[in-house]
Amino acid sequence: MRHLKLIWVLAAKDLRIEYRSRQAFLTTVFFAVLILIVFNFAFDPGSASTRDASPGILWVALLFPGIIQLNRSFQSEMEEGTLQGIVMSPLDRGVFFFGKLLANWLFLLAIDVLILAAFVIFFNFSLEVGLLWVFLLMFLVGGGFTAVGTVFAAMVSNVRIREVLLPILLFPIIVPIILAAVNATREVLIHQDFSTLSRWLQLIVAFDVVFLAAGFLVFDYVVGE
Amino acid sequence: MWLESSNHLQYTADRHLKLALWLLLPLYVLGVVALWAAFIHAPTEREMGEVQRILYFHVGAAWTAFFAFFVVFVAGIIYLWRRRLFWDEFAAASAEIGVVFTTIVLATGPIWARPIWNTWWPWGDPRVTTTLVLWLIYVAYFILRSSLPEGEKRARFAAVFGIIGFIDVPIVFLSIRWWRTIHPVLIDRTGAKMEPEMLQALMISVVAFTFLYFALLFLRTAMRLQHYAAEEMTHVVRERSE
Repeated sequence: MRHLKLIWVLAAKDLRIEYRSRQAFLTTVFFAVLILIVFNFAFDPGSASTRDASPGILWVALLFPGIIQLNRSFQSEMEEGTLQGIVMSPLDRGVFFFGKLLANWLFLLAIDVLILAAFVIFFNFSLEVGLLWVFLLMFLVGGGFTAVGTVFAAMVSNVRIREVLLPILLFPIIVPIILAAVNATREVLIHQDFSTLSRWLQLIVAFDVVFLAAGFLVFDYVVGE
Repeated sequence: MWLESSNHLQYTADRHLKLALWLLLPLYVLGVVALWAAFIHAPTEREMGEVQRILYFHVGAAWTAFFAFFVVFVAGIIYLWRRRLFWDEFAAASAEIGVVFTTIVLATGPIWARPIWNTWWPWGDPRVTTTLVLWLIYVAYFILRSSLPEGEKRARFAAVFGIIGFIDVPIVFLSIRWWRTIHPVLIDRTGAKMEPEMLQALMISVVAFTFLYFALLFLRTAMRLQHYAAEEMTHVVRERSE
């Protein structure tokens, strides 16, 4: 119970800072909307093939801005010296990991809602139940994405080329959940076929569980010492 | 202590160099036999023709690459537990060889696939795409290494990345297999029955590649340790001359 409270205190700190400046929030959403628009220029808007490719475009628009946020989440800690403070405090490393993860996850979900809204408008989808499933996918994929991403972001936080390094490390690892998310979204939104959905959801949940556990176990080696 | 004395490093390096040298003779014999088996002993495949012989090298390299990455994973765990420079350099040496052999797999694959499957790159095949992702992961491993200064921290981060990368592999494979079964199956590997001579050639090739892996592993580990030993030695000499 005490641990849960501490996790929330840590996450709330990050979210409060973000709420006050809204800098990352606005930048990432703007970036995502740009991606959606650029893809509409790159493809033939309104055609069947673009509609078929739209789930892939949606996930690019969701995950690329997510990288920006992950990079920021440790950068400010480094600059302000709070990272050192947290590491030196008697706080459990697992609490630190889940606190950072929770803040990143919630942030991602917040921008995802707006990006999904922009997606529905730009790609002319009607408001339907499928969107709720897409939101569930965002929630689950966000978990795995931030679990691995939080570990890697901590690793690259004092590397000079971190902006490039983080996506290079992260994208090969999250291939399975990208594949699962894009295919599940296509089944739900385009084909309206829910028969394979549970299989993709299982895969994403399995990924989440494996990497939440792995992240928890290795985080100490990344931020400690 | 993370960094051992230059004497100890030199000793470990020498021992690994000796191991590599000991492997050279059996490696030479195996290599010649494997080449003979692949090009002369094994008959030409009736339908695919000569291009099928690439299989002996393709499979040998693939097995070696996967094994090399498994070694990176295990060495990473041992590193985080024991904190010895040796295990980090051992892991890096293995990852290097793994990347080289994965590159061989990815290069020989399309040469064979173009005439046989009529496509350079069968995206839907889980083995092909998993190997590609594997290659990306371990190239990223070296980009991570090269962007950090030499030292204990780099070793720690590399170990963490090597562990996370390896546990990802089965999930990648599974996701791509499901992806394929949802799409129409374009490629099927039925009818690839093998003559006993072909199987023999394949087995010899796999053994030869495994020997090559260990020889390279010991050699590269020795070279990497010598780099540290030389650096330590310079320190000692400089201190004494002052």
